[in-house]
Amino acid sequence: MLYTRLGNVACLLAIFGSMAAGAVAACPPPDKVALTGGRIIPVSGAPIEQGTVLIERGKIVAVGKDVEVPYDARVFDVSGKVVFPGMINVHTWRGMDIPNENRPVTPHLDARDALDPSQLFFEDCLRLGTTGVHVIPANNTVIGGVGRVVRPIGMTVAEMTIAEGAFLKISATPRRGHDRMLQMAMLRETFLELDDYLAKLAEKRYEEKLKEDEKEIEVGPAEARKRGRELIRAEDIDDQHRNLLRLRGGQVRVEGEDGPTLFKPLGAFVYCGNAMDVALAVKVANDNGFFARTVLVLGGDCYKAVRELKQAARPVVLPSQLTHRETNPLTGEVRETFVPKEIFEAGLLFALVPGPDDSYAERMLTYQAAQCVRHGIPRDEALRAITLNPAKMLGLEKRLGSIEPGKDAHLVIFSGDPLDFTSVVEKVFIDGILAYEREKDVRLQRLLSSEADQPQEKAE
Amino acid sequence: MKKGPRDRGTKGPRNMPLRRPRSAYRLVTVIPLALTLGAAGGLSASAADEAFAGLAFRVAKVVALDDADTVMNDAVVLVQGNKIEAFGPAGEVEIPENYRVLDFSEHWLLPGNVDAHNHSAAGSWGDLNDMVYQTNPGLDSRCIPQAENDWIKMARTGGVTTVMMIPGSGTNLAGMGTVVSTGGKNPGEIIMRSPGSLKISQAGNPEWYFGGNGRRFMNWNLRQTLEKARDYHLKWEAYEQGETTERPEFDPIWAGMRGTFRREYPATLHTQGYQLMMTTIDMITTKFDIWTVLDHCTFNGWKVGPIVSQSDAWTINGPRQYEFDRTARRMIGNASGWWKNGVRRLGVNTDAPVVPQKELTYQAAMACWYGWLPYQALRGITNITAKSIGVYNQVGSVEAGKQADLSIWTGDPLDPRSACLMTLVNGKIVYDGTQGLRRF
Repeated sequence: MLYTRLGNVACLLAIFGSMAAGAVAACPPPDKVALTGGRIIPVSGAPIEQGTVLIERGKIVAVGKDVEVPYDARVFDVSGKVVFPGMINVHTWRGMDIPNENRPVTPHLDARDALDPSQLFFEDCLRLGTTGVHVIPANNTVIGGVGRVVRPIGMTVAEMTIAEGAFLKISATPRRGHDRMLQMAMLRETFLELDDYLAKLAEKRYEEKLKEDEKEIEVGPAEARKRGRELIRAEDIDDQHRNLLRLRGGQVRVEGEDGPTLFKPLGAFVYCGNAMDVALAVKVANDNGFFARTVLVLGGDCYKAVRELKQAARPVVLPSQLTHRETNPLTGEVRETFVPKEIFEAGLLFALVPGPDDSYAERMLTYQAAQCVRHGIPRDEALRAITLNPAKMLGLEKRLGSIEPGKDAHLVIFSGDPLDFTSVVEKVFIDGILAYEREKDVRLQRLLSSEADQPQEKAE
Repeated sequence: MKKGPRDRGTKGPRNMPLRRPRSAYRLVTVIPLALTLGAAGGLSASAADEAFAGLAFRVAKVVALDDADTVMNDAVVLVQGNKIEAFGPAGEVEIPENYRVLDFSEHWLLPGNVDAHNHSAAGSWGDLNDMVYQTNPGLDSRCIPQAENDWIKMARTGGVTTVMMIPGSGTNLAGMGTVVSTGGKNPGEIIMRSPGSLKISQAGNPEWYFGGNGRRFMNWNLRQTLEKARDYHLKWEAYEQGETTERPEFDPIWAGMRGTFRREYPATLHTQGYQLMMTTIDMITTKFDIWTVLDHCTFNGWKVGPIVSQSDAWTINGPRQYEFDRTARRMIGNASGWWKNGVRRLGVNTDAPVVPQKELTYQAAMACWYGWLPYQALRGITNITAKSIGVYNQVGSVEAGKQADLSIWTGDPLDPRSACLMTLVNGKIVYDGTQGLRRF
């Protein structure tokens, strides 16, 4: 199916019907868009005062002070405002129906089948300037299935998709009802079963080939398996085992009705709920050949395994609760540790994630970054942790995460500095489409209005 | 156990008010029975009808609900055998000799109503959900319909003459539905088509089969089942067309589903809300190319309208006719939402006995109350629903040559004050509300 830009606008109207006023109704977004006069924070380099960002067909084509604006561009004067890259939520189950399936080992399942474009979560993403969301099963699992990187606009999952799933969710921390031995045993068994499955499949394929050639079996089972291995066709492998094979680094090409599909190697987001799980996660990843494509998702006290983390040198996703508190059971003394500081000092690539919806401020990525600055992490590093770093982890640094020519035009117009708590998101552009305007955000305006939602006074 | 004054066994003045209504109720149930018996020699006895060569209805208005949108005032409709013979203006149509003339000259005549989503033809809740597996290819509901059950009799009092009876939504694929006529004394007479449809539930009930499934698993699993069924069909098709000489293995479970991929009958989809309906269109209608009837279509499903209207799916909304959009804090008429979003193959259903089958017209009326268009709503319980399940060549409109499934109303069926006065199925009067109380 062909998705036109018109479709995208129509979808905005349909889904956020109450937000988008009639103004953008029937016209496709302009091919060229210029944002002029704003302070550009590209993240990849130094800020540019009174600069221009030029967008053509959804891509950034020029950034700088002296960019010539073509006569046919739709120009938005953003003088006095700040132009910032669209932020990325690198790890969330939101946007789906439930965090985890009831079954513990589900490498064959895909976030695609549960993604709901109509969820208010995506509307909130727009409102807060998040333009890339990595939707992936949550942590209460053994192997949870494949995620997907989406933008918060579009009528269908296909329209929303920025990149198909490149990561499986694996948990090194026991799923509810498991202990660590069971959790590790199930992970081990999954991969042992994969070997067994492939061996049996190889034998079967070898026998089929002999039957085709009308020959008798002349070799032992070990040799038959070895020869049969090369005869396995992609379509012989079922969904569960295909994704495990991809996790091990295999490329799988499947002939389908619409031509061949190349399934690329998968990486893993491995959840470590506690410090002790870091070593387990590293071992599972190493044993099964996906260590080089692993992102570690850290829980509260994982900073205590900083030596292991440093040695692994893999990218890490930090817990949304940035300050870890411990009470000494003997003295009652409370000790607070600011987690990002420990991770930053270990020199790791890290990303921040927003807190839950009902958190007062942690739900904003900008607030998470501001906390980092407050605790002494350099500002540029804090800004990267909500833009370029997650893009790198997802393998999308050529498309997202900063304002540079050639990248997808995911841009947020802030009223002031992104880390200033009084700044608000005024506009959001996604692939050059004006996807959000604060003054047309009906729900927000109603919330901010002094007249709405006032309880009616009882007549005296 | 201590017996107090509230105990039912205790006799005393306290119980008296309770008893009176009960005896009065008995009286009410006895009267119509007596009336029906009394009328045996008159209207509803088939023996008496056979004395006539046909039936002639003199009516104030015929709303034919055919594709020409025919509406005729002061008309005569002739029924011969089980077919509509002809209809035309009262002055022009000659009523043949020995036709029984039924005078409804102040009343409306319409086609019998068709419900695309029904369980009550089964006669009980017991046989609806055989939750053997998460998907159950191989099950067929053709053994369930009970002729002359109370629910079917009730259906006729609302002019409902054809229903798509389907298994429940406890699993993602519950088996085959059956097209059932509400007139007839035995299964052979009432089953109009079997299989009627393949019942699929996208989500919203099948979750509980395994103590809590998510949509990721259910959609993957359903896709697997349909792929297996389709692969089986394609293998056999290749064999039957001589593309291969190797006879595939026979499997009764998959063999029974082959018609789905030949589009011989539709799939009835229990689907609602944005995400599910989007998935239905993508998976069932587009990728599997299955003839799709979207049922329920509630919650914020109507927002998928722009996608649905580009597909060849039928949208049969109900039994919930409105959505309270909590975030926008407004009431949305579902049918109205679909219509405004460009969906034209639109009807309503009752999901009987969730909503009594006789209230199909009331569903249509509610759809209008919440913003749909009256004439379209009438189409949405006759013409459209008949087409959606593939029985429009037989029923669903008043046209010469079609099966004589008709209903006669005191006025517009969408007006809640109107009553159904008479229902015909297959040319036979199966309900007569002109005598006594209007109930079966």
